[in-house]
Amino acid sequence: MSAYDYSREEFAAVFAELQKTYQIYGPKRFVGRGRFSDTDLVRYAPLASLDELELAEKSSLSPKSLVFPADETIFHFNDHEFSQPQLKENGEIIVLLRPCDINGIARLDKMFLENGGQADPYYQRRRQRLHFFMIECRESFENCFCVSMKSNTTDNYEVALRFAGDRVAAQIKDQRYEGLFGQKGRAGSFSPEFVSENDKQVELPTVETMPAEMFNHKMWEEYDSRCIACGRCNTSCVTCSCFSTVDLFYADSRQCGERRRVWDGCHLDGFSDMAGGHSFRKNKGERMRFKAFHKIYDFRKRFGFDMCVGCGRCDDVCPEYISFSSCINKLSRTLKGGSDK
Amino acid sequence: MSGNPYQPFPVKITKIVSESDVEFTMTVDASLDMVPGQFFQISLPKIGEAPISISNYGKNWLQFTIRAVGRLTGAIQSLRVGENLFIRGPYGHGFPVEKLANSNLIIVAGGSGAAPVRPLVSQIVAGTLPVKSLKLITGFKSKESILFTEDIQSWKQKCDMTLTIDKPQEGWNGDTGLVTEHIRRLKLDLPDDYQVIVVGPPVMMKFATAEFRLLGVPVDNVWVSFERLMSCGLGKCGHCKIDSTYICVDGPVMNLSHASTLID
Amino acid sequence: MSLDLNRKTVTKNAFRITKRRNYTAIRIRVPGGHLNASQIARIAKIAEQFGDGNLHITTRQGFEIPNIPFAKMAEVNAALRPLIEELELEHGVKIDNPAAGYPAAGMRNISACIGNRTCPFANTDTTGLAQRIEAVVYPHDFHTKIAITGCPNDCIKAHMQDFGIIAICIPEYDYDQCIGCEACVKACQRKVTGALDMNGSKVVRDERRCIGCGECVLACPISAWTRKPGKYYRLLVMGRTGKKNPRLAMPFLDRVNEEVVTKVIANTMAYVDRYILRCLPKEHIGYIVDRTGFNVFRDEVLQGVVLNPEARMAKTIQWPGYNTLNDANLKTPK
Ligand SMILES: Cc1cc2nc3c(=O)[nH]c(=O)nc-3n(C[C@H](O)[C@H](O)[C@H](O)COP(=O)(O)OP(=O)(O)OC[C@H]3O[C@@H](n4cnc5c(N)ncnc54)[C@H](O)[C@@H]3O)c2cc1C
Ligand code: HEM
Ligand code: HEM
Ligand code: SF4
Ligand code: SF4
Ligand code: SF4
Ligand code: SF4
Ligand code: FES
Repeated sequence: MSAYDYSREEFAAVFAELQKTYQIYGPKRFVGRGRFSDTDLVRYAPLASLDELELAEKSSLSPKSLVFPADETIFHFNDHEFSQPQLKENGEIIVLLRPCDINGIARLDKMFLENGGQADPYYQRRRQRLHFFMIECRESFENCFCVSMKSNTTDNYEVALRFAGDRVAAQIKDQRYEGLFGQKGRAGSFSPEFVSENDKQVELPTVETMPAEMFNHKMWEEYDSRCIACGRCNTSCVTCSCFSTVDLFYADSRQCGERRRVWDGCHLDGFSDMAGGHSFRKNKGERMRFKAFHKIYDFRKRFGFDMCVGCGRCDDVCPEYISFSSCINKLSRTLKGGSDK
Repeated sequence: MSGNPYQPFPVKITKIVSESDVEFTMTVDASLDMVPGQFFQISLPKIGEAPISISNYGKNWLQFTIRAVGRLTGAIQSLRVGENLFIRGPYGHGFPVEKLANSNLIIVAGGSGAAPVRPLVSQIVAGTLPVKSLKLITGFKSKESILFTEDIQSWKQKCDMTLTIDKPQEGWNGDTGLVTEHIRRLKLDLPDDYQVIVVGPPVMMKFATAEFRLLGVPVDNVWVSFERLMSCGLGKCGHCKIDSTYICVDGPVMNLSHASTLID
Repeated sequence: MSLDLNRKTVTKNAFRITKRRNYTAIRIRVPGGHLNASQIARIAKIAEQFGDGNLHITTRQGFEIPNIPFAKMAEVNAALRPLIEELELEHGVKIDNPAAGYPAAGMRNISACIGNRTCPFANTDTTGLAQRIEAVVYPHDFHTKIAITGCPNDCIKAHMQDFGIIAICIPEYDYDQCIGCEACVKACQRKVTGALDMNGSKVVRDERRCIGCGECVLACPISAWTRKPGKYYRLLVMGRTGKKNPRLAMPFLDRVNEEVVTKVIANTMAYVDRYILRCLPKEHIGYIVDRTGFNVFRDEVLQGVVLNPEARMAKTIQWPGYNTLNDANLKTPK
């Protein structure tokens, strides 16, 4: 392991050098593309240069689209065969992301690479070419509760970066970058720090088994009328991994088309609809409970750690001001016999 | 194949039998290893994919019994012999055959629940899966909705079978009433000795299993099969998740001790 | 001591002839309807100092301070100076002598809904636009009403103006980002024109039916719909209230940029100058257009205007409204 210091210009040159081999993704600001007019959208995208890296604002959508795109063609078909498409660009990708999101992708790994016993080939081929460059995160954004979720730290990265004013520091964990980083920088001693306290704290339920009465407890009822099933909490979440499969065919040739998989979410209508019109979670409160349990209870039962990484995006984006973190606290209070208010 | 578990492969339709107005049994060419109770993801390009239970199989053939309720199942209904169907699978946990072998077995099937238990019953009556005894209770809405009439004729000869429809109906001389009423009438001297399988609509399974519990059958001896919306069949898409259980990989057949704890 | 006033000069200076003899009322412009607390304090002070302490908020978002003696006009104008500087000059309005009060009153206050400084639906900063248009069209003597609204909800009632400007957007669709949740389609069908439809798992937009409200952008959970860069407007023309023929303004230009809107309004002033019947006390623009016909109006106001490529234009316009002559139809119920 080694560390280097750079001026911003020097590091921009390292960045440009890396781009000769890798495509570099990171949070990027799209001016005027925000939900409201004259607001911006921050999302993960290929960065043309270091200047495009957005550090001041949390991305409203997570880097999960790099491994699990919102809409991905899984087959091309005609009447008699299905064929798996090649990845359009097969090169290696460096992604600049924060510890919570690195931990978030580790959650996705559990689902896509392990659950059910078979690896998902579409996820796997995108995941394999991904290299984590961790953006050091010393100060949390609004609504973050990564510390409570123990996802504030990680060592799952190849390079860690500190952006401080017009200085950049790098810690190199993977030898392959040594030459490139060493050339342009001065040896330093940087080792990343992590957020150790968030404004928002969450108390997780400690029960081994969720009491059955919590499933239709009245604490969920308030969400029946509050949640509008818009699905933003699911789409923004770095760990939500649900999808649906749809076929579409080309208007010009009705024999050919694509099978695609698109994000779905347990808050959206139709997620649990069955033949005959039966739907398992019609009420939004039930959906809230389903999501909450998955994030902080079910997943842990299956994989040994919680799904939610406390990135706080769901709280950032909910148009109805439903706070998931507050919901977890309420759940824990209720479990301890306290008030569900 | 490519090693891609999502890859559907074509199978030729060799026979189609109409079971009722909306249900039909389709036989396809396929030689695969499978267990009764498992399912396949069936698809047609342009239309989509859906999970369908194995309704019977042999060395190089496989059957599905499908209820045309929507886009895909409707489109499959219009296919003809000689055309291709696309499938991938088999998926999930089937019936616990080793536990059932040489047991006193009771199978209760309601409506389309008859499809997944059919291969099991066929193997038992054919003697390839030996059991000590078999009681079979099948219930349907009306006489028009009875599935597998031919099989039922032969099963009647070979096992203790009750065929009931929900309400009395003109031209019906057989049993009537919900399956639960027939379960209630069972006399089980040593309830611990029985293995029980209940497959049908959720409400029916709930009440039927409760009856068996009242009869004293231990929860560990009762098996049910769940249906949920499924997109992948591989434990990835999340649609079939209940609690920390993925029905597609942990089920669809589950022991009641597990199934009864699941709350959607 | 009897007052000797030139009524025309007085009204041009934004003072009114009121029903109370020897007393006037001053009208204060607030382009775009936004002002700060210190400006309000200043207006309050004028009311206290020169009027009777009351003031009226006009329908066009200005203020009217009544019960000011005509004799105080010069003092009032002096007191108005900082307001004129802050609300007019600072936004680029050219006024030769700001110490002499408002130089014109024909061009009415440009009103605006609260716009995207606060409202989530608004497609633009309506006040900012009002201030920029003010710089182009004020001072002017022709009686003209302009209002700007942030979205087709039209909270400011642009449909009742000579020029109603609706800020719209051109939604852009990211096909590969869309997850087919139908939220946008439902929103458009429930609230707007049903310009969106599902085609399989993707959305198609009927470009002709889309009014650019931006509901799809607001609805999409994954920002598959975003607003095309740039600002776009729908320009409604010649709506009016009044004693003869109240009617709604109708779309003349759609998806045009700010330059087009501003130039068309400026050109209209020249058109009015050419065609107005000077024998009448003040002929409203709408009636002038009625006389010359839409085609003449259109050709004159589009002179030198370069329409942006997205622009659409009405072929003809029929203004829905009614004629008060038809009041003969109103009968006493038996
Ligand atoms: C393990 C398992 C085994 C099954 N076995 C059989 C079988 O042997 N025979 C049979 O006829 N059906 C079976 N089903 C149900 C069958 O999958 C659905 O009826 C089928 O998906 C409907 O597809 P469609 O395109 O025709 O209907 P759609 O047009 O998609 O929809 C019609 C209705 O069916 C619902 N639906 C869609 N997908 C599913 C789904 N996967 N499960 C339940 N409802 C769904 C829709 O929400 C809608 O309400 C099984 C389901 C599961 C989970
Ligand atoms: C069957 C016979 C006719 C029909 C159906 C007819 C119908 C119409 C219609 C629909 C208009 C359009 C009005 C508008 O755009 O608002 C119009 C305009 C007009 N018609 Fe006719 N018309 C007929 C005969 C005539 C005749 C015979 C004359 C003259 C001798 C005439 C003179 C006009 C004039 C001058 C206008 C223009 C009025 C304006 O623009 O204000 N029409 N007619
Ligand atoms: C000598 C014959 C006619 C003359 C001079 C004439 C003239 C006119 C004029 C000046 C108008 C008013 C247009 C306007 O207000 O914009 C008009 C309207 C109309 N005329 Fe005629 N017209 C004639 C014959 C007819 C005939 C024969 C018909 C029908 C059979 C007809 C049908 C109409 C209609 C329907 C309108 C109303 C159109 C509208 O409101 O848009 N006219 N006509
Ligand atoms: S973002 Fe809020 S309103 Fe939308 S589905 Fe989630 S909880 Fe409900
Ligand atoms: S549930 Fe909310 S806080 Fe937790 S990982 Fe998802 S978006 Fe982040
Ligand atoms: S919270 Fe809902 S959408 Fe997210 S992974 Fe869990 S079930 Fe899927
Ligand atoms: S709201 Fe967005 S994701 Fe949903 S259908 Fe419309 S464009 Fe697609
Ligand atoms: S069907 Fe996709 S996870 Fe079970």
